[in-house]
Amino acid sequence: MLHKALLLVLAIIQINAAEYDTSILPEAYVDAAQHSTHTNNWAVLVDASRFWFNYRHVANVLSIYRSVKRLGIPDSQIILMIADDMACNARNPRPGQVYNNANQHINVYGDDVEVDYRGYEVTVENFVRLLTGRTQNGTARSKKLLSDAGSNVLIYLTGHGGDGFLKFQDSEEITSQELADGIQQMWEKKRYNELFFMVDTCQAASLYEKFTSPNVLAVASSLVGEDSLSHHVDPSIGVYMIDRYTYYALEFLEKVQPFSKRTIGEFLQVCPKRVCISTVGVRKDLYRRDPQKVPITDFFGAIRPTRVSTDRINVTLANEEDFYTDFEHMPPKKQFKIIIQPQFIAKINK
Amino acid sequence: MIAELALTLLLLLSPLALGQTQIPQFQYQTDEQFHEELVVRPLAGDHVNTYFQFTTRWHYGVHKNLYHTQLTPRVIAEILQTYDVKELHIGLTQGLWRYETWGYPIVEATGGAELWAWFSSPNLTDDSVNKQWMRLANVFSGILCASLNFVDNTNSIAPKHIFRPQFMESGNRSHQFVRYATLPREIVCTENLTPWKKLLPCGSASGLATLLNSGYIHNTKYHSLGVKVRTLCDSDDPSNCLVELTQTANLVYDLKLLEQSNTDFSLRRLFGMGLNGYCEMASSSKIYVQLNEQGERFQLTPTPQEEVLSTVGGHNVLFGVYDIQQQFEEPGARLFNIAWLGPKGNSKREHTSPPPLYAHRYLLGNGQKHGRIATEVTNTHYEPLPVVLMELVPWYVHAYLHTLRISSKPQHLHEYTSNELKFSLLHYAPGKQRELPTHLEIGFMLPARSSALITIEVDYLLLKWLEYPPDANHGHYIGSAVIGSQLPIGRNYTALPLEGYLFQDSFNASQPAYALTLRTEALIVSLPTPDFSMPYNVICLACTVVALAFGPIHSVATKLIIVERQTTIPRNLLRKVVHKLTSRFSRRSTNTVLNEQQNNEQNGKGKEKENEQEEKQLDQTQSCDKQAHM
Repeated sequence: MLHKALLLVLAIIQINAAEYDTSILPEAYVDAAQHSTHTNNWAVLVDASRFWFNYRHVANVLSIYRSVKRLGIPDSQIILMIADDMACNARNPRPGQVYNNANQHINVYGDDVEVDYRGYEVTVENFVRLLTGRTQNGTARSKKLLSDAGSNVLIYLTGHGGDGFLKFQDSEEITSQELADGIQQMWEKKRYNELFFMVDTCQAASLYEKFTSPNVLAVASSLVGEDSLSHHVDPSIGVYMIDRYTYYALEFLEKVQPFSKRTIGEFLQVCPKRVCISTVGVRKDLYRRDPQKVPITDFFGAIRPTRVSTDRINVTLANEEDFYTDFEHMPPKKQFKIIIQPQFIAKINK
Repeated sequence: MIAELALTLLLLLSPLALGQTQIPQFQYQTDEQFHEELVVRPLAGDHVNTYFQFTTRWHYGVHKNLYHTQLTPRVIAEILQTYDVKELHIGLTQGLWRYETWGYPIVEATGGAELWAWFSSPNLTDDSVNKQWMRLANVFSGILCASLNFVDNTNSIAPKHIFRPQFMESGNRSHQFVRYATLPREIVCTENLTPWKKLLPCGSASGLATLLNSGYIHNTKYHSLGVKVRTLCDSDDPSNCLVELTQTANLVYDLKLLEQSNTDFSLRRLFGMGLNGYCEMASSSKIYVQLNEQGERFQLTPTPQEEVLSTVGGHNVLFGVYDIQQQFEEPGARLFNIAWLGPKGNSKREHTSPPPLYAHRYLLGNGQKHGRIATEVTNTHYEPLPVVLMELVPWYVHAYLHTLRISSKPQHLHEYTSNELKFSLLHYAPGKQRELPTHLEIGFMLPARSSALITIEVDYLLLKWLEYPPDANHGHYIGSAVIGSQLPIGRNYTALPLEGYLFQDSFNASQPAYALTLRTEALIVSLPTPDFSMPYNVICLACTVVALAFGPIHSVATKLIIVERQTTIPRNLLRKVVHKLTSRFSRRSTNTVLNEQQNNEQNGKGKEKENEQEEKQLDQTQSCDKQAHM
């Protein structure tokens, strides 16, 4: 009897639930959802390829690094992973410089660069630990992704990939499932507000296929079954300079200024098939905003709206004297007498 | 409206109001001081050594919290506070210092990354120091963007004899701990220079640090970035202490590699630009240029404000001194450039005489199983020299102590004689696979004008599959050996005296003996490296073989071979073609054809066995059906 009553109650609840149409959200909510909601920006930029002939992948990742830094994300909020050193490589005839173009238009390495993970440190384990915030004890602060629920995170990957994986240093690979799990864990741990996932590799679209986490917008340089191609060779160094997709992405980003009105929607149009040869794949179904209305600086810059207030504010100034040591009442400095220890062991002379 | 105006007025006036109560600036400077120096000296073979030194000295009392810093980077102060570090040396170096032709550098460094630190605190134990040490390395891996986080117990040792603390000894040596590690593979590039410059009070905004441009630094033959921190305390009052942070950049330019063909050089040519000013935080900002080399004298424009003759251990060097602060005080001062002009017609500088002590290192033996590490130390002095040699052999190379030999020869001979030197000092800590490196320190007297060859036999280990790095065929490194000695003469000796902290402190700093540590070359060994594509090849090959074998075996095992007798071939050509087509078309129903043929034959043979034949045919059709189905 009790069972029947329960079933009846459940049925009524179900009917009521069915009556409530979830497809129409309150207008105010939809409007609010179209606005930027982030409070800070982070970027994780990964080059997963080692060896000199993969120069182009380092140029790729440095192109994006240069752009996000120029648009205002500080080095402390950029995690740059580069699997090999190209700038000071013995094969590089221009030490300390990495160019995006054989004509040496832009030195993407620049004069002010901080690489957080380099060489052997670029591993799948470290990358997943970084994303999920499970870095080992004692990891330096600059090697941690300290993002929060208000962070817009840009993840850029480049390297050699295939259907459903990306190779790291030619010795291991991350699969699309591992990536999706990592991002899901980020979402569960409130490590991002919105996430923009960019990947430039062969069959790149396969890497975002498994994503299920909300607020993720993904763009890939090629669809499944397609190769991503490089742009051109520099005969003076004998290797490909940069990949096509990133080359045109950098070209677009170079025109973006910190207060630009350019949108992510425009950025997603970058590199049509006639110049890229591969088809740029976009995944928008997890993203609730209309990319055409999202400023590109939401992911590539760190500009937050600042309001100038004319209201009167009460400020308590700190007491000046707290900052100064009272030198007059300090005991006079003593003359130093330093005895340096003998630096060589005397035993040997005997 | 009026209120707002009043507020803005107040805001405008407030700095003035504060300025009156402010304590004069000079009182701060007595507490923390920053000095920037650049030393330029010519080396043999058209090389130029430029040495930058940025020193921050901070006198702090115990009453003062270490976290209130003004010129010292706060991160350094925090490290001193947190990790009980008393002394710290970090070097990031690319290239090799050529002792034989260049003499001794002002600051020693080995290729790649080198790190050693002294810890001192009453309640430290060996285990806690190990932990502190790894954390310290991790912190610096973040600060300097280097892979120093690879420093752990498997590649760190506690040197026993070769390093001595510079801070005051507390009397109780059981509370002093030292750790040393090298990462010979480490690459040094702009990404290390950038954070290194950010530790300076003026950053790269002004002062001598503006000359350190990445494009020009990485063009050099040798470049080395250094960070040295030491705590010095008053010997009478241990609470009265100093923290001294010295950041050094040691560069060697090869003039032949620079654009022009002649060997004259200038600041602009070396660094790409002139100097645009001094760091406003600096108490002193000076450039020292060595004016003579083997009797030759260089012309400088503009002429130095001061000339200083420095006599160290009977060796005279003349330096021209530029005070940059004075230089830029004059109105209308623009970019400052110094040009060197060598004597005409004699621009090729002779090789200098080799220094009293130098060393080289190489590998002996062939094959990927055994080898011998050989270190050759040469004494060119006319007296015997005491030598301490420290080897750090990584765990993937087994060293055998019983094979340690020190053979010697007079300097002019080529072959080593059989006479062996006796060592007066030996410290040996055996290595352990995957856990500890082998640590060896030996001390001996090296006779006058002779060389010693120290050899030890080693086995190369076969690593586990996942222990190989991604570029396993590059080889594995064995860090450089460290050689300590004490020189009686000051020739080629340029290091600063330990009591001093500025370059000018090395002027006329004659000492009874000059403590010296040298670094040799690092070695690269090719451990037995498996063919990593082998499993893939084996799988491919095995699969091909199996596939090739499977097809025929399967068909032989399952198909029934029946000879088809073509008795009814028409003679007419057209009919032949039609027959072929129809027979091919109806191959699926071969059985029926066969039946017919056999029936025809059987008809001739008589009808006795008809029933049996029919049964057989039935079997055949069944088996053929099965085959067709498959």
